[in-house]
Amino acid sequence: MSLFVAAFGFGLVSMSVIAIAAVGFTMQFGITNMINLAYGEVMISSAYVAYYLNKAGISIWIGMVVGALFGAAFSFLLNRIVYAPFQRKGTSYLGMVIVSLAISLMMANLLLPIVGYYSVSYQEGTGGLIRLGAIILTTNQILIIGIAVVVMLLIHGLLKYTRLGKAMRATSANPTLARNCGIPTQRVVDAVWLITGALCGLAGVVAALNSDSFAIANGAAFLITILAAAVLGGAGQPYGAMIGAVLIGLITELSAAAWSPEYKEVVAFGVLVLVMVLRPQGLLAKRGAMAAAG
Amino acid sequence: MNSYYAINLLIYAGVDIIACLALNLQFGVAGIVNFSFIVFQAVGAYTAAVLSMPPDTAPDYSFQIYVGGLQLPFPIPWIGGAIAGGLLAVPVGFVVLRKLRSDYQAIALLVLSVIANTVITNARPFLNGAAGLALVPAPLADLFDPATYGYFYVGLTAVCTALVALVAFRIVNSPYGRTLRAMREHEVAATAIGKNPVALKMTIFIVGGVIAGLSGGILTGYITFWAPSVWLYPETIILFAAVIVGGRGNNLGAVLGALLVPVGFEEVTRFIPSSIGPPGLIPALQWVAIGLLIIGFLWFRPEGVRPEPRRVFEGAPD
Repeated sequence: MSLFVAAFGFGLVSMSVIAIAAVGFTMQFGITNMINLAYGEVMISSAYVAYYLNKAGISIWIGMVVGALFGAAFSFLLNRIVYAPFQRKGTSYLGMVIVSLAISLMMANLLLPIVGYYSVSYQEGTGGLIRLGAIILTTNQILIIGIAVVVMLLIHGLLKYTRLGKAMRATSANPTLARNCGIPTQRVVDAVWLITGALCGLAGVVAALNSDSFAIANGAAFLITILAAAVLGGAGQPYGAMIGAVLIGLITELSAAAWSPEYKEVVAFGVLVLVMVLRPQGLLAKRGAMAAAG
Repeated sequence: MNSYYAINLLIYAGVDIIACLALNLQFGVAGIVNFSFIVFQAVGAYTAAVLSMPPDTAPDYSFQIYVGGLQLPFPIPWIGGAIAGGLLAVPVGFVVLRKLRSDYQAIALLVLSVIANTVITNARPFLNGAAGLALVPAPLADLFDPATYGYFYVGLTAVCTALVALVAFRIVNSPYGRTLRAMREHEVAATAIGKNPVALKMTIFIVGGVIAGLSGGILTGYITFWAPSVWLYPETIILFAAVIVGGRGNNLGAVLGALLVPVGFEEVTRFIPSSIGPPGLIPALQWVAIGLLIIGFLWFRPEGVRPEPRRVFEGAPD
């Protein structure tokens, strides 16, 4: 029994990591209509940026901020240089999925000769252990949970209480109507790529910090977990992604305790399949996987 | 150029042409972005392997563990591989093709491809895990002198390629192919005139699965080996690059793409000395080039080298 309580503790950390990543992913999709399959690779690139800073003796918490900035700048440029021109050209949704997959493949293979095949890890003490009954977490893990809670509150504040958030929701609901009402949708989309890119970079560093070591190959595994959380909550729905992250985080960690940690992604995939069969629109979405594109 | 090199090239060309024709039917003609295509090839390869291999208790085979080991005579393993590819398409199609929007279909299939590889790698007792199956018997090897066997295998591959090409051309030019194109162009309109898009997609998904399974059987019979490392998801992207470069929806384009991309790339980069740069640089750059090829073609020439012919009713106004 205490094994499962401990797994619940790890689940809290997992869901925090997944939530940061999945909210960014789902906002990209919801507002810019772009299923960005290069998301996992941007995460891992940011993790490496923080790794090299860390190796040069800089604290990982500063590395985290720089990783987030890198993710923001990279995602913004990726959209400006590749995705936006293709979208303006009228490339179909499917075409865009293929483009982003090609980008993901290129990124992974451009990184490979630079960072090498081997797994690396941050030079950072894990901090002391903190015990809450059977739940044992490191100080770093507690901090990760704290970061996730703060980020989620900030996203909530952004979407509900700022003009930019209102403009984002309007652009997500109907871009043409939003533009006709005088919302500068182009600038809104730029802001979305910067914000979600920062979330992506932050999530990459946090995920790498939480795991013992990381390598290029982790990008695909990140992506699968994020897709599962985002689709479970209803793609394009930030709050759905938060709920999806909570469920996927708990389910994967509990299954790892009950069964085998090698199958974490497989369990996430099982959840994804169940959702796609039973409720393709996701838990929260009004328009989801079933609605016609556009 | 020695004959071994030529034989190798011809067999790989045949397998790639078969795979590209199947992917062209699904992606080019019907518009299904099957990112797990390589899984269907893998299922065919594994099935053909375990049907033709002796049980894993046999003396020479006891270093690996796998299910099956039926030692069936030649055409049966290949037929079994093709059937397995088709059978796998049924549940996958049932989950993916019924309700989901097309871009969700694509990501679901991509995830399936990654996960299937993870499962087979980790579940060793099933198909020998990451090490894969070795010593797969070559079909009818005992009837031939090893020196001439390569020529026989080229002939066998050529016959299969011709059969698949015949099927692909017949499908594209049939009323069924026309309906598929109508669905691809405007699914709602096709539904409105009484076509059932789910049934149309399911059938072409199964046909593609059968052909992919056959290509896997041919490949594993030749290389006598099959492991998770040869069917990672990027392998599917190479085939997509081939179909996009050749011309989506055009069978001749798919054949041309197969010769240009998987075959051509492999042959051209063979002449680059591998000592340049850090280890793994050349294969990594090869993948980068595949990505650039896809993006470049989608930007500059999305219809490919040989565009799909525009089929216009003769009486139509312009």
